[in-house]
Amino acid sequence: MSGFHLVNGLSGLLIVTSLLVITARRPFNSAVFYASQSFVLVLVFLALAGVTGSHELYTWSATALVTKVILVPVIMARVFGKLDDPKLGSGERISPALSVILAAVVVVLCFVVVSGVNLRTAEAVKPALAISLAHFFLGLACIVTQRNILKQVFGYCLMENGSHLTLALLAANAPELVEVGIATDAIFAVVVMAVLGTQIHRTLATLDADQLTTLKG
Amino acid sequence: MTSSVLPYLLLFGPLVGALAIFAVPVGTGPSRVVEALHVASITAVLALALVAGGTALAAGPISAFDHWLLIDPLAAIFIGLVGVVGFLTGLYSLGYIRHDVAHGLLTPARHKLYYGFFNLFLFTMLLAVTANNIVMMWVAIEATTLGSAFLVGIYGKRSSLEAAWKYVIICTVGVAFGLYGTVLTFANGSEVLADPEGAILWTTLVANARLLDPMLAKLAFVFVLIGFGTKAGIFPMHAWLPDAHSEAPSPVSALLSGVLLKCALFVIIRYYAITIQAVGPEFPQMLLLVLGFLSVGVASFLFFVQQDLKRKLAYSSVEHIGLILLGLGFGGPLGIGAALLHAVNHSFAKALLFCGSGNVLIKYGSRDLGTVKGLLRVAPVSGVLMMAGALALAGFPPFNVFVSEFMVFNAGLGAGWVWLTLASALLLTVTVAGFVQIVSGSVLGKAPESVRKGDVGVAALAPMVVLMALVLAFGFAVPGPVTTLVGRAAELVERGGKAAAEPPTVIYGLSTPLRVEAASR
Repeated sequence: MSGFHLVNGLSGLLIVTSLLVITARRPFNSAVFYASQSFVLVLVFLALAGVTGSHELYTWSATALVTKVILVPVIMARVFGKLDDPKLGSGERISPALSVILAAVVVVLCFVVVSGVNLRTAEAVKPALAISLAHFFLGLACIVTQRNILKQVFGYCLMENGSHLTLALLAANAPELVEVGIATDAIFAVVVMAVLGTQIHRTLATLDADQLTTLKG
Repeated sequence: MTSSVLPYLLLFGPLVGALAIFAVPVGTGPSRVVEALHVASITAVLALALVAGGTALAAGPISAFDHWLLIDPLAAIFIGLVGVVGFLTGLYSLGYIRHDVAHGLLTPARHKLYYGFFNLFLFTMLLAVTANNIVMMWVAIEATTLGSAFLVGIYGKRSSLEAAWKYVIICTVGVAFGLYGTVLTFANGSEVLADPEGAILWTTLVANARLLDPMLAKLAFVFVLIGFGTKAGIFPMHAWLPDAHSEAPSPVSALLSGVLLKCALFVIIRYYAITIQAVGPEFPQMLLLVLGFLSVGVASFLFFVQQDLKRKLAYSSVEHIGLILLGLGFGGPLGIGAALLHAVNHSFAKALLFCGSGNVLIKYGSRDLGTVKGLLRVAPVSGVLMMAGALALAGFPPFNVFVSEFMVFNAGLGAGWVWLTLASALLLTVTVAGFVQIVSGSVLGKAPESVRKGDVGVAALAPMVVLMALVLAFGFAVPGPVTTLVGRAAELVERGGKAAAEPPTVIYGLSTPLRVEAASR
């Protein structure tokens, strides 16, 4: 059973790292925290692979290591490092303290929801499952509560990590090609967002989502 | 189910086309090589889409890639939509984009990017509608957003970048919910199936849906409806739609509204079929009816108040998506058949009108209905096509939208939803008023002196004439093969894996809906 404890424990660490991603002042720092979070995710996959003996999960951890720990953070750090909007400030709609409290509420709610799930595969990893769901909604909250559009990209990445963990917990026997497809989509999504973010910064001279208000009605 | 290379050919055509276009070096003007590659690619898509439809009709479902790809009657309808509307809007693009390059709105480099992404977009949509693997279905829908984001923001203006950003953020976030629905369905299936890995295939899931845990199946459907519903433009997840539709180049608006929304609906319909078998029809139907009615209600008023022609058309799309949901929600072979036919009919009519809005932009340089007056005098052919298209979308006979709207309402009355049907019909009168506004103000009326008289070129008008012909043809009598496909697809959705090998041929079109119901019994 200790393997499952490891999975659940490591998942808890995901919430801490995602709060760091959300509350970091500079997008560059967020990218660093995101890389560390993805590394934790890789460890969760490895622990899970060790317990379940799932061959696919080893491949998943390898692809996640390449794409999420290295490729995506490097892209974000390089692109976002060049973009700055001094007028925006922190770009937070709510204070970091409130973010932490909100995160706690989300985690509790997700534990309640997951306790009602009846799946044999999920029995031993219910805490991890609850955290993966909470992680998804934390990402959503990041998109809603941050005015900095670069932070919104991180919000998307957090959501993606959350659903990736759910996928690993509930659907580890899915064909490997499926996982490759999802990982490719995630990379391209970040690339598309980075390119659009750069264009917006160049054309509108802002990174503030509240300034994107030409279109209404 | 027969195995075939057809799905590969269908998918590789536009993918290779896109890659070849990206590889062409950028010159000083719009490249003819790029345009030739584009025309070859869209022609291949059209031809193969029609062949795929014909084969699925004559020889039954086709599969490929270890059953990951599937062309059954339901897929064939949507493949046909991508093929026909993709081809016609692709042709329309030639004149339109050249005009934009000539007027400095697009650079030669962007001209190339436009055609590259256009074909990539077609590829991703074809992948979505041929997917039998539910995760691949999700991957493809997500890819449609990424493939079309640059098309929405291609003008690089303040407003188009804003629209592209909202489009990407709202749709990727929305579709992430769809992934949860997908994973839940897979996990649910792999618990109960003898071969757990079979749960990745829609065909296996729908055939064994009765074994699924009902609670999880319901939860998955809610996630799917929110997720893919965002992409389909269902209220209240439609926020990206008016922005993206109005800011994209007109042929892309036609493609977004006519085909992309339907591809997302296609995925919802696939899950609807599973959910009907797993938990019975009441639960999914109630959700579809609520969202459908809200979409019709809210969109019809927002449609009415818009002053921007393309935003107006965008809200009309939300409304028609609502009508399709109502048809699906009324259920039964008639309701589902009506919904599928309405998806086809709306695509043709809306593509026609968005291309018409492109002509308006070419002539007036504006989408503001206060500025656009007297199109009929300025550009007579465009004017007539716009007028007929507007009347078609407003639901007047003898155009195609009337037929399928009538069928949706008949299904509603037949299923006992009298008040809901009446209320929806009443809301459509608001839409009629909005379209009358377009016709009386912008198509008729006095043309401003500053606008030079003379229609846009034949290259832009010819695809619109074909769309008009389709709108009329489907209004008088739906072609036999389409009728059969719609009938079989409706059967497939309603009865899941138990669909009869040779379901009755249902006759739509001018025949009375009563006969349709009788024939399907």
